[in-house]
Amino acid sequence: MSDTVDLPDTVDRPGPAPTGQGFGRLLVAVYGVFALAATARSAVQIATQFDEAPLAYLLSAFAGIVYIVATVSLARGGVTSRRLATMAISVELVGVLVVGGASRLFPEAFPHATVWTGFGSGYGFVPLVLPFVGLWWLRHTR
Amino acid sequence: MTGSYATAITVIALMLAAWTLVLVAMNRPPGISLLAAGGVLEAMLVGFLVGGIVQMVGSDHQFARVEFVGYLLGCLAIPPIATMWAWEEKSRSGTLVIAFAFLLMPVMVLRVQQVWAGPLV
Repeated sequence: MSDTVDLPDTVDRPGPAPTGQGFGRLLVAVYGVFALAATARSAVQIATQFDEAPLAYLLSAFAGIVYIVATVSLARGGVTSRRLATMAISVELVGVLVVGGASRLFPEAFPHATVWTGFGSGYGFVPLVLPFVGLWWLRHTR
Repeated sequence: MTGSYATAITVIALMLAAWTLVLVAMNRPPGISLLAAGGVLEAMLVGFLVGGIVQMVGSDHQFARVEFVGYLLGCLAIPPIATMWAWEEKSRSGTLVIAFAFLLMPVMVLRVQQVWAGPLV
């Protein structure tokens, strides 16, 4: 140790706070479940019955990828990961709002449900709440 | 797949979730006894997977078989992955991750039963 005086908290921290610790542990776990649910489900659907509802299944697959990126980048939590997480969660927020709104306005266009249909009503509206929590957490740990 | 075995898994998972939430409330780390109880649940989930596949092979009714096995495997995978993820976090949040995993079990069992019951979009 050198003989310099103690620096304030904000300066002696090497980087931003980790996003995968504390409350972030639970957040990553929830994101992980959605990553698994959306990806696995769409993989099965695309493999076995793609012709039935290609749009819904591709949308589910896209949502799954967004959730995977969010999960991994929140768990890693470096500077780049943090940027990636912000992007993924922003896409997630837009996705759930647009798909949710569209499925309410044009229900006949969404005969097969996705994670984001009806603002995630099939999943207890967790998909709607999750991006807000994720963005709040990224701000909070900055 | 609507038998008492699935109900037993649901009840035990909910009891373990309650136990874990008490630990969270008391701010106590999960101990070896919780881990052992989780091991019992995990053994039951192995039985659920094997029993489910045996029943599936012996049945000729129409349902999404790939999805069915997927959900059974998901049931099996969640508790150990959650435990590993939670173990490095020695705080309330870490314990909450374990409680969350136990709370997912009834949902997963329900999905298994829904897929078994037939096509549901």
